[in-house]
Amino acid sequence: MDQFTRSKIPIKPVYSPEDLAGFDYPAQLGQPGSFPFTRGIRPAGAWSWIQRELSGEGDPQTSNKQLKYLIAQGQTGIDVIGDAPSQALMDPDHPLAANAIGTQGVSICCLQDFRDLWADLPLESLTISNSISSFFTAAALYLVAKEHGVSPRVLRGSIIQAPFFTEDCGYATQMPVGLRVRLTCDSIEFCTREMPKFHAFVEDTYFFSEAGLDVVEEMALGFIEIRHIIRELLKRGMDIDSFAPRIAILLNCSMDFFEEIAKIRATRRIFSRMMQEEFGAKDPRSCAPVITCHTSGLSLTAQQPFNNIVRGAVQSLALLLAGVQAIEISAFDEAFRTPSPESHLVGLRTQQVLGLETNVTKVVDPLGGSYYVEALTDQVEKRILDMIADIESRGDAVSLSDKGWFKAFFDDVMARYAQQIKDGELPKVGLNCFQIPDEEDTLLKDVAEAKFEPSFHRIQWAKDYKAGRDIGRVKAALVRCRELAKIESENLMPPLIAAFEAGATMGEITGVMRMAYGWPYDPFDMTESIIREA
Amino acid sequence: MSNIRVIIGMLGMDQHEVGAIAVSRMLRDVGMEVIYTGRFNTPAGLVKTSLEEDVDLIGLSCHSWEYLHYLPDLMRLLKENALEIPVIIGGSVITPGDEKKVREMGVTAAFGPSSTRDQIIETIQRIAPARH
Repeated sequence: MDQFTRSKIPIKPVYSPEDLAGFDYPAQLGQPGSFPFTRGIRPAGAWSWIQRELSGEGDPQTSNKQLKYLIAQGQTGIDVIGDAPSQALMDPDHPLAANAIGTQGVSICCLQDFRDLWADLPLESLTISNSISSFFTAAALYLVAKEHGVSPRVLRGSIIQAPFFTEDCGYATQMPVGLRVRLTCDSIEFCTREMPKFHAFVEDTYFFSEAGLDVVEEMALGFIEIRHIIRELLKRGMDIDSFAPRIAILLNCSMDFFEEIAKIRATRRIFSRMMQEEFGAKDPRSCAPVITCHTSGLSLTAQQPFNNIVRGAVQSLALLLAGVQAIEISAFDEAFRTPSPESHLVGLRTQQVLGLETNVTKVVDPLGGSYYVEALTDQVEKRILDMIADIESRGDAVSLSDKGWFKAFFDDVMARYAQQIKDGELPKVGLNCFQIPDEEDTLLKDVAEAKFEPSFHRIQWAKDYKAGRDIGRVKAALVRCRELAKIESENLMPPLIAAFEAGATMGEITGVMRMAYGWPYDPFDMTESIIREA
Repeated sequence: MSNIRVIIGMLGMDQHEVGAIAVSRMLRDVGMEVIYTGRFNTPAGLVKTSLEEDVDLIGLSCHSWEYLHYLPDLMRLLKENALEIPVIIGGSVITPGDEKKVREMGVTAAFGPSSTRDQIIETIQRIAPARH
């Protein structure tokens, strides 16, 4: 019977030496820590990874407590996500925000909120990863570190740059694609200069592959975005070796165990060759991408949520065998809510059990040389490269985005995924096989189904905050953001930082930047700018 | 007799569109007309579209908890406009407790994560008022 991986690569019942005929070890693999980095970016030796769980809930003070709890439980880095309005760059006092404040992440809209989020945290030693707007978070971290007496030059952590795909299958910011790409490049350029240890360029293939993409599609689209941003940065006159060492890729890890491992190994090889051969990188660090990962939320089920703990463990094992730099396990109650304290703890403990009890990290790239894994790595690599070439032959990423090509692609994938689940082509235990009646499906349901109210108090907080500012200073800073946004050659980070310092909010600053591009201040036409049209 | 006309959309800032798109295709496949309003709907906007498009049913995909706060407004506005359009909701976040709550608000049916395609289609065909 024919059998295939999830991305439809044919697989055989057994692999043997003939599957690797002509295999060239130095060219295809090399030692761990050396070109083409297939076997990992670090030389052999004891290794560990950053263990963290995505967090953020309620107001910044609540999220700060959450972070302190996770750190106390052994979490070695942090990663915070904003609620839906914050991700959409909308303040909590926007009429459409109310019912979503703080329920799917932290409500955050201004510098004061970031101060409260990071209060009392050791910014100089903590890895601060952020799943909130890249340019606003970079601006805030730069300012808050200074307030803590920490030089921005020592900050470690990351921001996600997602100019192309957020609008279609993440949180829409409703800005023109040109402005999104510009803010991406502005923040990378700024951080390269001011925060040199910080990963200002994380390509996040996680969130959009959650539409149901297979591994080939995930990485092809990811590389399309990486390549476009690199070309833009080079056009600005930046040296490839100045920023490339700080590129990281945040991947998905779903259930097709060996294919996910092959994906990660192939991704490192594609990246390193691309950097050296196509973009002329000379620094070996430019060719060695940091790989971090969320385990797949889409692979989890609302039915029998305890099965999700098993899924998280299996996916994490795949990641450790592939060798990654950081892991976040999607929580077992993901289908219902933002992670409960219980599911956070299970995710963290899963990582600790794998790290301390299994010995799997004692040997680097333990699957290297496996007939199957090497053959599959080659196959996945070839298909990713073919798909990149195919998409780039259709046009520049900006024009494809404008034409809605990506949107149509994601819509088709979402429908395909639903069909695969319905047909049973993609087995999901508890969902399309081995179901049990709802009344028997009770284990962990009390945790998963527990609800909390939106943080409605943030509406009044935002109003009071805005009323308490030096309004003349805020207006002047917003005017400056708007005027400089009209000049393509200006880096928007300095005016954005100044506006943040003056007390302007993410919603206000985003709105005036939209205006500079001839877009409405508020895409929903429910609020008005405090500065006049000009 | 013409086809059943259905609005499929999401409320507020709820942006996980996978379910809404899948359900829309499923309903079109069985011959229903889907007016896809996508993301960022408000109760007032949905009522306006319902009037303009003369729909038989409003279907809301829910992947955040916002629906619990928007539904009372939607049901009230429908009543104020004398619109007897059944409202159904679906999504993995809907628990049995939520289903009870929304039914009390006047929602005709709620589909949680275990609902099947046939259940959804059969329910819509049963509750959408017959057209001439």
